[in-house]
Amino acid sequence: MDWNQILQNTIRAAVGVDAIYFAIAALGLNVQFGYTGLVNFGQAAFMACGSYGLGVTAQYFGIGLWWGIPLGILFVIVLALIVGIPTLRLRADYLAIVTIATAEIVRLFVRSVRFNKIFGGTDGISNFSREYRALNPFEPGKTYGFVPFRFSGYALFSILVGWTLVAIFSFFVWQLMRSPWGRVLKGIREDEDAVRSLGKNVYVYKMQSLIIGGIIGMFAGMVLALDRGTVQPDNYSRDVTFYVLTALVLGGLAKVSGSVVGSMLFWVIFVFSDNFLRELTRGGPLRIGDFTVIQSTQVGAVNYMFVGIGLMLLMSFRPQGIFGNRREMALDGR
Amino acid sequence: MTIESRSTRSRLSRVGPGFGLLLLLFFGMFSASAAGASDTNAGDYSIIASVQNQTLVDGATSREPVANVSVTITTVDGKLIGTATTDDKGLCTIAVPSRDDYVITLDVKSLPEGLQLIDANKSQISITKDLFTTNTKRVTFFTGESGIAGATQTERVLQRLADGIRLGLIIAMCSVGLSLVFGATGLTNFAHGEMVTFGGLVAFFFNVTLEIPILISGPVVILLGGLFGLLFNWGIFARLTKRGIGLISQLVVTVGLSIMLRNIYLFQFGGRTKQLASFSKQTNLELGPIGITPRDLTTAILGVIILVSVALFLQRSRLGKAIRAVSDNVQLASATGIDTRKVIRVVWFAGGALAATGGIFRGLDEQVSFSMGSDLLFLMFAGITLGGLGSAFGALIGGFSIGIFVEMAAIFVPSELKVAPALFILIVVLIVRPQGILGKSQRVG
Repeated sequence: MDWNQILQNTIRAAVGVDAIYFAIAALGLNVQFGYTGLVNFGQAAFMACGSYGLGVTAQYFGIGLWWGIPLGILFVIVLALIVGIPTLRLRADYLAIVTIATAEIVRLFVRSVRFNKIFGGTDGISNFSREYRALNPFEPGKTYGFVPFRFSGYALFSILVGWTLVAIFSFFVWQLMRSPWGRVLKGIREDEDAVRSLGKNVYVYKMQSLIIGGIIGMFAGMVLALDRGTVQPDNYSRDVTFYVLTALVLGGLAKVSGSVVGSMLFWVIFVFSDNFLRELTRGGPLRIGDFTVIQSTQVGAVNYMFVGIGLMLLMSFRPQGIFGNRREMALDGR
Repeated sequence: MTIESRSTRSRLSRVGPGFGLLLLLFFGMFSASAAGASDTNAGDYSIIASVQNQTLVDGATSREPVANVSVTITTVDGKLIGTATTDDKGLCTIAVPSRDDYVITLDVKSLPEGLQLIDANKSQISITKDLFTTNTKRVTFFTGESGIAGATQTERVLQRLADGIRLGLIIAMCSVGLSLVFGATGLTNFAHGEMVTFGGLVAFFFNVTLEIPILISGPVVILLGGLFGLLFNWGIFARLTKRGIGLISQLVVTVGLSIMLRNIYLFQFGGRTKQLASFSKQTNLELGPIGITPRDLTTAILGVIILVSVALFLQRSRLGKAIRAVSDNVQLASATGIDTRKVIRVVWFAGGALAATGGIFRGLDEQVSFSMGSDLLFLMFAGITLGGLGSAFGALIGGFSIGIFVEMAAIFVPSELKVAPALFILIVVLIVRPQGILGKSQRVG
């Protein structure tokens, strides 16, 4: 068992790109779910809007990379209107049903053979990020930093850009939620009818929250796409939303720091469990007597099983997250 | 479980046993299948491509190997791995460097004259690394004249209708429980798909691992499915309700439950789809223009019988009336002396049993896999929304219509996108009549 390597990977996971894009996606989901009480189970689709917004600039339109940002925002608004118009007047679970369905359909569309020319099918899109890589001040091949924070110049650039975005969006969400507008959102979460009786148009506020959360989520997709250099449809499967949700609940709903700390913690735990189990099964399946406890091909399933168990236990026992304040969490719905 | 239980011991004593038992149940279950899947150590990987020509002789499909067809394997990025031509048995084996994603392409020009692929778009088969549960992965290309390709427009529509009825029956069966639970408790259960998968996988365990015919093991599986539903209620949701956890929080718990169960299934069963043993070889009965196997006919008739009995139970029996009363208005039902907690237990049991039945039927109809239920979840939601959330009859009608609609829509949209029209239905229903066909016209906002 190589404990040194396991610990290094685990610590590095706290600042890596995975934690970054989770943090941004969780900030967006926090605006929707944590502050407004909108059960958006399709954050992965909003992330896909960002990635494919960047991807199609090269794949289909042949225009500059940065056109991807307005394009992505357009996708997000269209998507938010599709899921929002029919559901935001109804009980909370309708939004959950429609978003989870829409996210799945979006994924089927972008990976379909029919739209291969636009979205690249199952292979996805690559070769679109040249303009982004040209901005990199570091040498991509060189290694920077000190143990355990050693990154290639390529990764370091993504991390720098990513954490800058996390900081900008954290500040933005923090300021937004202190504003009168943000207080209306919290009011909607606590008691929609009370807010309505004050003459606020709840429907419009919910829609704005959905779109703003979606746009923040879109940037998470962009960070992922730019770092990987490819856009893959299966990076935006239904479960991605749930993992982001787990990270968000872990850090605490309706708190800006919760999204960021939760995502870091999520990846620290996840990478530790993954590395540990892989080391354990590297020399062959782990057996007790004749009974095979776990083998290397099952490690992934066990990790995600823990995520599911974690989400259940958190929601049952500490819905306010590890550091949260219980009074902020009044999601009772109906 | 042990790590968490230390920090929250006091509260766990109230909810803990439920979670614990759920976990224990799963690790104990299908232990035989876990042992069977342990042949996946590192080694040489290869892909076997098989080319078969299908012909229809006296109403039965027969298959013959096609030799001298050239097959190429590339990586997903298009890098060439190897090329081979099929032998007299229609087989060729190509070694691949590792367990990874590959694309297998059949060179259509190398097919013998007069033969063509049944599905012209299927000259490429993509496999993902999850499909390598053993060191070799077999893929098959079929040539010949397929039943559907050669059919006229009317025949195609009728065939789709027959498929749609089968899918509709399954969705109706699966979604009744989802709607009943919602009606009685207000909970939208995102783990309902996993209850369907439970039925399919336990049926596979009895049917294939223990070799008990499905007609004998089926009722046992259905009973287990019902108990599984009860376990959901007893182990988790009744306790959460008692502690005053809100419905939205409970909804998120069902999401966690769904992720956990799906990955336990994946852990025990592996990522491959597998076939139930009973009736795996079938010849088509020709009923006029529609080809249907005796298996499909049997399941369709059984499905209708089950759904009609469910409807009669709800309409006529005392308990059925109590269930409908509770889903109509919990407080009022409680005030008239109905034991609502008993009704909730019955509803979870019935929902689990019906979901398991749906799982068996789906397994017979298609194949069994760890995600077979969650793949249907979206169609179930569309079905119960169409019929009216909380209404059992609505779920029957809505689920059945969605099944037919999705299959019929596949005439116009590519089959990979055939569930997309169901989303369209879902959205239109929510805009025009959010309470669904059978729902009461009340404010649902």
